[in-house]
Amino acid sequence: MKKNYRNPIGVKKYTGLLLIMPFIIGFIVFTAYPFISSFLLGLTDYNGIRQMNFIGAENYTRMLTDSGFHNAALVTLKYTVILVPLKLLFSLLTALIMNLEIRGIGIYRTIFYIPSILGSNLAIVIMWQFLFTSEGLANQLLEAVGLAPVGWYGDSAASMGIIILLRLWEFGSTMIIFLNALRDIPKEYYEAAKVDGCGRIRGFFAITLPLLKNVIFLNLVLQIIAAMQEFNAPYMITAGGPLKSTYTLGMLIYDEMFKYHNVGYANGLSWVMFMMIAVIVGIMSKLTGRFREEA
Amino acid sequence: MKKIILLTAAAGCLTSLSACGGKTSQVTAPDGTLDKCTLRFSWWGGDDRHEATLDAIELWNKRNPDITIEAEYGGWDGWTEKVTTQLSGGTEPDIMQINYDWLVSFSQDGKGFYDLSQLGERIDLSQYDREILQFGEVNGILNGITVSVSGRGLFYNSDTYKQIGAEYPHTWSDLLALGEKFGSEGFYPLDLDAQSGGTAWYLAVVYIQQQTGRQFITLDGELGFTEVDIKAALDFYKELEDNHVIRTVDTRTDEDGTAALYQSPEFINGRIAGVLEWGSSVGKYEMSLSEGKLEAGPLLSDDSGNNTGWMIKPSLLYAISANTQYPDEAAEFMNFMLSDGEAAKLLGTSRGIPASKTAEKSLEESGLLTGLAQENDELLEQLDTMTISPYMELAQMKGFYNTAIEKISYNAVDTADAAHEMYVSIIDYLERIKK
Repeated sequence: MKKNYRNPIGVKKYTGLLLIMPFIIGFIVFTAYPFISSFLLGLTDYNGIRQMNFIGAENYTRMLTDSGFHNAALVTLKYTVILVPLKLLFSLLTALIMNLEIRGIGIYRTIFYIPSILGSNLAIVIMWQFLFTSEGLANQLLEAVGLAPVGWYGDSAASMGIIILLRLWEFGSTMIIFLNALRDIPKEYYEAAKVDGCGRIRGFFAITLPLLKNVIFLNLVLQIIAAMQEFNAPYMITAGGPLKSTYTLGMLIYDEMFKYHNVGYANGLSWVMFMMIAVIVGIMSKLTGRFREEA
Repeated sequence: MKKIILLTAAAGCLTSLSACGGKTSQVTAPDGTLDKCTLRFSWWGGDDRHEATLDAIELWNKRNPDITIEAEYGGWDGWTEKVTTQLSGGTEPDIMQINYDWLVSFSQDGKGFYDLSQLGERIDLSQYDREILQFGEVNGILNGITVSVSGRGLFYNSDTYKQIGAEYPHTWSDLLALGEKFGSEGFYPLDLDAQSGGTAWYLAVVYIQQQTGRQFITLDGELGFTEVDIKAALDFYKELEDNHVIRTVDTRTDEDGTAALYQSPEFINGRIAGVLEWGSSVGKYEMSLSEGKLEAGPLLSDDSGNNTGWMIKPSLLYAISANTQYPDEAAEFMNFMLSDGEAAKLLGTSRGIPASKTAEKSLEESGLLTGLAQENDELLEQLDTMTISPYMELAQMKGFYNTAIEKISYNAVDTADAAHEMYVSIIDYLERIKK
């Protein structure tokens, strides 16, 4: 006898829709509405208080000549380009080690994940700030090994380095994603390869890496999105300095919105940030498309 | 179908947005009676101010059981952002402690806050000189009442000065000469910042105002300095750095990070021996040193004794929300906070020396008019001061000053280029904001 499984509850065709309504309502209120509103606000001169006027693309044409915006966009790109590859490499390397069969590996995994839990904590950011003052621990360590102390906050490369180091230190989530993917690779592959005379390094490039392609891409996209939106660390640690060398797009948007009351312009900037991320992810997806299909 | 949905959504957003942009809600007129209600009152400050204010509110609640006051308070960091959000959503408290430049940011036409002249029966305006009342007027409409008037003064660590064997400077040349004496010990006689305080530019402005008699930004928001004046101010700042009077921005950030001076070990251990600060806010510096160590020094003059150019402003004002349902009750409470003798004793000088005559008298009679705030006030009273323009204090303007200071401190540009950039930015911004 044939059973009808199509509609287990056995009610009208809108039942499904009704069931996902909580999500849809949440999506409309918290995502779709702000998304569209911010685009529309980006076309106005709204300052948060006064009556707003529609000014067309004026906010966007202003960005063309706004050197503050150009600088922030460049800083953000530079930060992303340095941080993301470093973080992926470091996380993958740690994940490989964490995947080894060592006694008490579970403890190590937990320990390595701790920074990611603490990372967004304000206290950690403040502690980080003190590590790199002129008398801070970082300089004491440098002096202990006979190196000259570094003026971390006065040097643009060094202050960018502090923020990158903080984010690098929080490699836990990326590592966990890699680790899960690594554990999904059947051991038989390596055993079969070993029989054929394949060494560990060869095994990594011939088996592990190809099987991780999709996960690498996933991590890449997630990290790019996070890095492009960076705000907390430079805001708290360097205040964007010295000479705006760590002043990210996120900080610019915040300042324009809340400090300078340029609500229209800030929303326009948010859209540009959104488009930048979309374009970069699009390009990455296109570039790695064929590579990933092969997997 | 998709298009229709999108268009409808867009139209929906637009309608709701225009509703939040256009403040068309009716202002509630005073009805002359005091009704039973609950009002919200907000302020920012440090712990000393919080405790004093809560005590005063307790006194009010005891005397007026029908009008309950709910307190909303916190530190200065992020406070403007919070109030901006409240004001744009129309959810601001009934009574607010506001900053001087907020009159320009939030009430350019004078309609951003309640018109207090309508509440003249409840608020005793005779307590204030005409000049003091004018601070709170926008477009001829009384938006706020000045709580206290304050100016920045110089405060020094007396221990360090004794140790070095130096006198507090009286003139600019004295100050410049101190650099060498302090520098040989690795100390600094003064600190100036290019962060939220922006004292670096402030002192340079005083110096040029004293020389030229021109006001940097006029009260109605015009740039009073020429490009040459701005360059001279920046040159003066650079001279202070070069003469080891103050730390360079590089050294300062290296030593303190983004921490405030009063939290900096360099200040606490006395290596940095001076600060330029508002009389109403100097308490926090005083507290980080041992008692009696910090002293008010003379306000600097030129070699001929000309001591003009120093500035004053209302350190704080109280305003009433234009959206309040209870203007009479709010005004009654505001008057209590400003001019009630008993409340004044509880509040002390936590908001500076009160502008209200009754409040000041009450403090004087109870012997509470002492300390650095009072000393600074007396020093300023002896001078021919200028009133700071609210436009000078706008966040975007501070951004221009600090950028220029930072750039010349790092030698990224010379003072002429920095002055030109600042001049153009200020002219452009003032024009845009007054549109």
